[in-house]
Formats: sequence, C-alpha cells, structure tokens
Amino acid sequence: MPLMVADSSALILLAKCGLLEIVCDFFDVVVPAAVNIEVASEKMVKNYPDAALISVLTSKGAIKIQSPGSDRLSMPISLHKGEEEALLLAIKLGRALLATDDGKAIKAARFFNVPFIVTPKIVVELFRLKKISFKKARESLEKLGKIGRYSPEIIADALIMLMEKENGKANNHKDT
Amino acid sequence: MAKPTTIRIPEDLLNEIDQIVQELKLDRSAYLREVLRKGFSMDKQDRLFEKYNRRELSQMEVCEELGWSPWEFLAQLKAKNFHLNVDLEDWLDAAALEG
Repeated sequence: MPLMVADSSALILLAKCGLLEIVCDFFDVVVPAAVNIEVASEKMVKNYPDAALISVLTSKGAIKIQSPGSDRLSMPISLHKGEEEALLLAIKLGRALLATDDGKAIKAARFFNVPFIVTPKIVVELFRLKKISFKKARESLEKLGKIGRYSPEIIADALIMLMEKENGKANNHKDT
Repeated sequence: MAKPTTIRIPEDLLNEIDQIVQELKLDRSAYLREVLRKGFSMDKQDRLFEKYNRRELSQMEVCEELGWSPWEFLAQLKAKNFHLNVDLEDWLDAAALEG
C-alpha cells in the first residue's frame, strides 16, 4: 500500500472531513509518537470526539506510530517537534508522502524535496481513484472550507478540479 | 509577585475607568491588571497569528506559545474568521496519490 506520513494538521482535518478511516483503509498511515500525543492524548480524547477516533484507529493499528530515530534535521526553518519528526520520518521512509496542512511545514518539505499532499488534494485524489463518491468528496471539501478553515480560493479550485474529474468520468462512460 | 510600574494615561480614559470602577465597586489596580492581562493576551494572539499567516510560525509553534492544542487552534481560526496558511501554490504543487 502507498505510504503516507501525517502531521497533526492533516490528521485533524482528515478526521474532521470524515475521511480518516477511508484513508487508513487504502494507505499505510504512519505518524511519529509526538504527533500522536499532540492530537490524541488522554486529555484530547476526553475533549474532542475526533481525537477519540484517531485514538481508536491508532490502537487498532490502522494508524501506525513510528519513531524517526534520534536524528535531527539540519534546516534553516524551525518546526515544532511533531512536525519535524513527521518530515524526518517521511525522509527516512523514502517513498512516503508527507500529509500536512501547514504552510511552514510545506516550506520545509520543499527544502528537502519531500513530496507533500494537502487534505483537499487527498479528497480529490480519493475521488479520482474511485475510493469515495462525488457526493462524499464534495461534502468533504465543503467541510474543509467551513470547519477546516481552508481559504475559499483553494476550496473553489478543488471543487472545480473535482467537477472536471466527474465530467471526465461521465465523458469516458459516454465514449464506451 | 506583582511589581509596580508607572504609565501615563489620557485623562478622559482615566475618568472613564474610574467611573466603571466606582459603578462596579472594583479595586482600580485589580481592574487595570485584569484589563492589561486580557489586552496583552489578545495582542499576543494577533501577533502570533500574523507570524503564522506569513509562515514564520507553524500551527504547532503557535499552539506551544499560546498553550493551545491543535484542536483549539482550529476552533480559534474559525472564531477569528482566519484561514490556514496554506496557499494556492501549495495546493497546486501537492503530489498525487498512487492508486
């Protein structure tokens, strides 16, 4: 299965838009321990229902916790522990994609040439790969705008991309 | 322990403060301390969010400074009507998933 290393921002948004379980079904989702503590500590689980979902998925092994080792990244950009460990893990695992919804973490990923993905793109890609319906994808993107605080221009662009893929599928069906 | 400090306050503002303090039967120093604390906290949040928007701070770095969880951070973005610091270029450059 394709490998995805997620930081707190991506885990939270995937949970909030109702796609975390689906992502775990189709991808090897790995997080460093620091990220797990940030989003799903005992205190978080008590206060946030989506933190409880992350905790359940972690205890079932659907989200794997892996240490990046004791190495530290030497880079001109500082990151918080969980974000840095997620990036380091993505580098160490080699073929992994870094899932993050943080601009500074993306800046750091670019510095190390680590391929990254943001949650709206995950939504569009899940639809392209026929893992979710058009309706589910659209609802998830709308949630990313409202609850996930994605900028309206990104959500609008993502919706256009989603519709283009839907139309492409429809046209393919017509052709066959 | 609280330490004394001196600041100059415009007379009209001081009059208004005194009026409120009298109306609410509050201790002026305690009231001013509370107002200063609230104002400073809001200013600190604003300054950190500006740095976050400029991508000088990450989400978790802001959380660390403010003692927030990432869940609280998202709730605060909504309350302040702010957006994530991911820009259009990030969205366009994001990788595709392998099937």
